[in-house]
Amino acid sequence: MNIKKTLATMAATTFIATGAWAQDIAVIGGSINDGFWNILKKGVEDAGLMVEANGGSVNYLLVPNYDNFGPDLVTLIEQAVAQGVDGIAIPVWVPESQMPALLAAREKGIVITLYNAGADKMEELGALNYFGSDEYVAGVAGGKYLAEKGAMKILCHIQIPGAINLESRCQGVVDGAKEAGSETYVVRMPANLDQDMVGTSEALKAELIGDDSIDGIITLAAWASDAAANAIEQLGANDRVMLGTFDLSSSVLSRIESGKQTMGIDQQPYYQGFLSTATLFAHLKFGTKIVTEPVLTGPAIVDASNIESALAGVALGAR
Amino acid sequence: MSNQEPIIELRNINKSFGPIDVLHNINLKVNAGEVLCLLGDNGAGKSTLIKTLAGVHNPTSGEILMGGKPVHFDGPRQAQDAGIATVHQFGGTFPLMSIGRSFFAGVEPTKWYGPFEVFDRKTANEIAVKSVRDFGITRIDNGDRMVGGLSGGERQSLAIARAVHFGAQVLILDEPTAALGVKQAAHVLRIVNETKRRGLAVIFITHQVMHAMSVGDHFAVLIRGGIAADFRKGERSREEITDLMAGGETMADLEAAISGDA
Amino acid sequence: MNKANQDQPPSDIEDSQTSSDSSDGSSKYAGLFRRPETGAFMGMALVFIVFGFFGYEKNFLSVIGSSTWVNHASTIGIIAIPIGFLMIAGELDISVGAVLPASAMTLGVTSGYYDLPIWIGITLTLCIAAAIGWINGMIVTRTQVPSLIVTLATLFAVSGLTLSLAILTTNTTQVALNAPGWAKALFGGRYLGGFRSSVFWWIGLTACFIFILHYSKWGNWIFALGGDKESARNAGIPTNKLKIALFMLVAVCTALAGICQAIQFNSAQSPTNFTLIFNTIIAVVVGGVLLTGGFGSVMGIFFGTLTLGIVQQGINFTNIDRNLSSLIIGVMLLIAVLMNDTFRALATSWSTQKKKNGGDI
Repeated sequence: MNIKKTLATMAATTFIATGAWAQDIAVIGGSINDGFWNILKKGVEDAGLMVEANGGSVNYLLVPNYDNFGPDLVTLIEQAVAQGVDGIAIPVWVPESQMPALLAAREKGIVITLYNAGADKMEELGALNYFGSDEYVAGVAGGKYLAEKGAMKILCHIQIPGAINLESRCQGVVDGAKEAGSETYVVRMPANLDQDMVGTSEALKAELIGDDSIDGIITLAAWASDAAANAIEQLGANDRVMLGTFDLSSSVLSRIESGKQTMGIDQQPYYQGFLSTATLFAHLKFGTKIVTEPVLTGPAIVDASNIESALAGVALGAR
Repeated sequence: MSNQEPIIELRNINKSFGPIDVLHNINLKVNAGEVLCLLGDNGAGKSTLIKTLAGVHNPTSGEILMGGKPVHFDGPRQAQDAGIATVHQFGGTFPLMSIGRSFFAGVEPTKWYGPFEVFDRKTANEIAVKSVRDFGITRIDNGDRMVGGLSGGERQSLAIARAVHFGAQVLILDEPTAALGVKQAAHVLRIVNETKRRGLAVIFITHQVMHAMSVGDHFAVLIRGGIAADFRKGERSREEITDLMAGGETMADLEAAISGDA
Repeated sequence: MNKANQDQPPSDIEDSQTSSDSSDGSSKYAGLFRRPETGAFMGMALVFIVFGFFGYEKNFLSVIGSSTWVNHASTIGIIAIPIGFLMIAGELDISVGAVLPASAMTLGVTSGYYDLPIWIGITLTLCIAAAIGWINGMIVTRTQVPSLIVTLATLFAVSGLTLSLAILTTNTTQVALNAPGWAKALFGGRYLGGFRSSVFWWIGLTACFIFILHYSKWGNWIFALGGDKESARNAGIPTNKLKIALFMLVAVCTALAGICQAIQFNSAQSPTNFTLIFNTIIAVVVGGVLLTGGFGSVMGIFFGTLTLGIVQQGINFTNIDRNLSSLIIGVMLLIAVLMNDTFRALATSWSTQKKKNGGDI
């Protein structure tokens, strides 16, 4: 630590990049305004305890929001490189923007591991591994589940139009529902309604009023599920509309517990954060490597049958 | 009355906005080196009259003559080019601009540095400071100072100096002393006198009779859009003028009305 | 009307009893503190020292580390200076949040999806942006609706149009774009160890804008317009045309930033960039521009933008809790506004303070 250096010395050494010491890794993730990322962050922090115990460090870098996603992600990658890290754990959301930056990082000898999104980019990046669910597969599972429970017309709600992972989730729902003989209606809400509970709730209410044949909703984020539940509640349509969602939260689980929500598709973000951080560090420090790749952390469907154990995890901030 | 050609003359000016007649049959003349005081209560049509003179409005009928020739203005810019300058209550200056920049707003002196046309700050400051000092304001000595740092009187003076510098023949002063204290107002009145001495025709709008009487050569009282009285200096007493402004009621009537209410 | 007398000799200005002490050293030093950019510079220096200190370990100050926050600032900066012009002129433009993605998408759709030559895409993008700016300007000057509301309307209109046109033409809201070498070098290259092309655009534009605002006559018009619109019009300044031109300048600069981003990152997205609206306004206000118009400087905005870049990106180089970065920005903004008031008071109190007993009033 050179914190005691005077400011003058600092200015003089402005352009000397200090070399990395020990094994430092950067984990780049989504906005913390999003509950999902708080759970993932817990996984990163828990793994961080192990990393620090072994003399390494973890720097968790977040995009501030999703307004300027590609450029913001690249800026974070560049920052991680500038900070002289040895490894980066990151989802690939905007490949056109991120790939050149990640390839440049790899050329500098930085090990990359992927999580949450971008399984198909593993090979191109020579990534260590991928931890996450397959969005499409999870979508198929969700669509099929609701269709088999009897939903004939499922509304799939996309909160950020154009986000590839969300689009493939809904594509999965479409295909999964079709397999079980039901139809799906994909709704792309304007991006300014993202994270806007009231706005989204009213918009979903309008959809339900406009088409009374809709008898199932699948949302792609826990907060959106809260909004959908509110819309259903307002219309007194609990008997008509089944609600399923991607990602869990305490409110999702308590609705499942009380029978107001049918299911939640968990991709277990805790594992994504924990495993990507821990295995990346272990690889750098100890040279270990998980043989299975990619490692799927989901989908795990939580419904009335397994709600008890899920609730315990939520209480601890890990689900 | 002199026989010289008035600088500006209004003949039978009428102005109406739709069905509302604001000005009727206004006839006025202002000679060089003379101050016309335009008196009138709020709503008497003073501001419409000066806007008509300044080219903001066109008269519905009647004509404006300058130097004996009829003129027509399509906008304030044309009136200015013809030599009619208006200085408003707050001086028409920009509080957060320097004196030099404010003085030359819209008519910036420039010089060329290679391909670049650059605002000539030095020239602008020199001319601005000199013009103001010529009016006796010695406190202004640096053109880089902010206009907002000047007193109200100084700002009025700056605006008048500006108008004179840019060749105004007719200077319309819209309530220049309304927001000022006694000392500051006296200062502006001195500048008005200086302007008169330089041979401009000044139209001085005010509702303060004292200020009008101290500089005016010629008085016109506007009541409900018409000229209620038109007289030369010394022809009426202060009380008479005050009465005229109050709409013809005598002060005694007014006092009776007030005490009657109480 | 006689023009300003160019050959006026440096006449007898110093002939009065009042000493002209404005040229001595102490006064010049004091003059520095009256400049709108001084506060912005001091704020920037402060956050630079703080983050330089706490982020030193993680290479905040290295070339590549600096490039991250300078790069971040450059996009905001290209847009913030014309926004600052508008604010000095007494108006606001928040439609940039939609114009940036709209521009990136226009380029992405024409030159990425439809594979037209990149120069056609760039020309079209700049023209569309200019048209949006023109519409903003026309509505603001022709009606009495405040520019905040007008541009709020265009913000949503443009954002909706972008989204629906994107879906209509490409059936997605995100398009890939592969620019040819020259365009990549000009708009999306990396130089001097990590600095993006946009940084050099930003610096170049800053120089141009300094000339326009502080040395050309147009700058004087902008200040006059914001100082007092009526007086400016009476002084013969074409206020409406000037305003429309400024709105167009904002939109075109925003489009330039969008073009740089799309080419740099090989892709364009349609979501509205609401953060950009706040970032540009913060940069301008921290840069010492008065929200009510009539006062400000280009260098101030430049420093304000860098300050924002340092705070927003610098926090990642430190162990400071990430959640605090918005708090820091909020506090900084408040301090900046308070400081601006002080500096403005200093600026206008110049003469009255100096000459309590001088002069003739």
